[in-house]
Amino acid sequence: MSNCTVSVNHAVPAAVQAQRGRSAKPVISLRQLQQLLVSLMVLLTLASCAARTINVEGSYPRPNIPAIPLVLGVYYGEGLTDFMYTELSDRGEEEYLVASGDTHQELFNTVLPAMFERVVVLDSLEAAAAQGVDAVFIPRINEFQLGMPQKTRLDSYEVWVRYNMRLTGTDGSYIADWVMTAYGKATASSFSTAERGINDAAVAALRDLASNFSLGFTAVPDVNDWLQRRSSQ
Amino acid sequence: MITKARYLLPSAWLRPITLLGMLASLQACTTTTIDEFRQGATGISSEDSVVILGRRQGAAYETREQFVECVGERMARGDNAINVIPEQQFVDAMFPWFEPRTAPLRSEDLQQLMAQPMVTDIMSGFGVRYIVWLDGQTETSNRMGSISCAVGPGGGGCFGFGSWEDDSSFEARVWDVSSATAVGTISADATGQSYMPAVFVPIPLIARVEANACSSLADQLKQFVQGD
Repeated sequence: MSNCTVSVNHAVPAAVQAQRGRSAKPVISLRQLQQLLVSLMVLLTLASCAARTINVEGSYPRPNIPAIPLVLGVYYGEGLTDFMYTELSDRGEEEYLVASGDTHQELFNTVLPAMFERVVVLDSLEAAAAQGVDAVFIPRINEFQLGMPQKTRLDSYEVWVRYNMRLTGTDGSYIADWVMTAYGKATASSFSTAERGINDAAVAALRDLASNFSLGFTAVPDVNDWLQRRSSQ
Repeated sequence: MITKARYLLPSAWLRPITLLGMLASLQACTTTTIDEFRQGATGISSEDSVVILGRRQGAAYETREQFVECVGERMARGDNAINVIPEQQFVDAMFPWFEPRTAPLRSEDLQQLMAQPMVTDIMSGFGVRYIVWLDGQTETSNRMGSISCAVGPGGGGCFGFGSWEDDSSFEARVWDVSSATAVGTISADATGQSYMPAVFVPIPLIARVEANACSSLADQLKQFVQGD
């Protein structure tokens, strides 16, 4: 939380009090006006101190790749949907809160149907067997890093994300577990805001994830072994 | 009775103001050098298109989108205008094959990429004949001088002198999609010194280095793909 303190002085000058006596029926008294202005100033000061929340928003193209003949269940669990990164200022105060759960779901909901014959979004891992899926995919964010121009001395915002990807059988048995990283940057512009820069860098990182995931999925050794075992059965 | 108020500047002010106006309309000089290296024959029909893409693989810098747009816009207008596909539209349509980490780096990689039926279909849909890879940046160096500004009750003003040098260096590699081969490279190097004298008001004399590199490179590329 921020440590902003605001002191307010309510003293009314004598000239203002004299003016009050002369006024017949003011719509708003000077004291009320003064209180209103002070309240506005307090609100503005508090607003400038509060951490700003960025809900990452972006659109992702559908990959042009041949679909794998599999019915895939996908489970968006904790560690993805509720992931919130907190960027601290130099003074250790919360400066930006980056929420990327919704946009990650949007990304996977665009990419996975292009990669697989059919995709089923699961409400719980227990529902996998009943849905008749071949495997369950569970993406999770392990680490999120943000590079701000004022800290890195570069002219760009940078986002780096490390993921843990898991592929299991419908009974939860191990198929594959691997790590993926994604990187994106957005040029800092004099006429743009930090929120916009962070959002654009995050979207670029997600796009990087989507391209590497869609092209590299079958090259993951354990995934490749499992696919080969399935095709030979 | 109608009174017309006339506000005339003292004649002593006219000269400095005219001088300032003349200075403001001036631009600092830029030197541009274009080199062309041709590896194969080129030619383009009115149905064919060109796509211009920026290289963004490097960690140190990436080719600015604005420069890519500038070259594309310049090639798409004037005499013998060429159909240029906007970069983002092409990259989105080809996703995930032309992303920073997955884009083909050599023309041999393009041959492998063209083996993908989905890629070939999209390329044919756009009518892409040439892919132009732009790689480069503009750097500012030799910053000198200083300008200080002050504001007081009686007015304000700036005094001083500043100068800097801009150096643009861009390379355009042209790939022929029909043969999946590199057909040539054009490089553009532009340098220029900008000045900012300040006598009450700062007067920027900016060398339009990147803009000149863009226009020179686009004109040369246009000729190159047309096979002139």
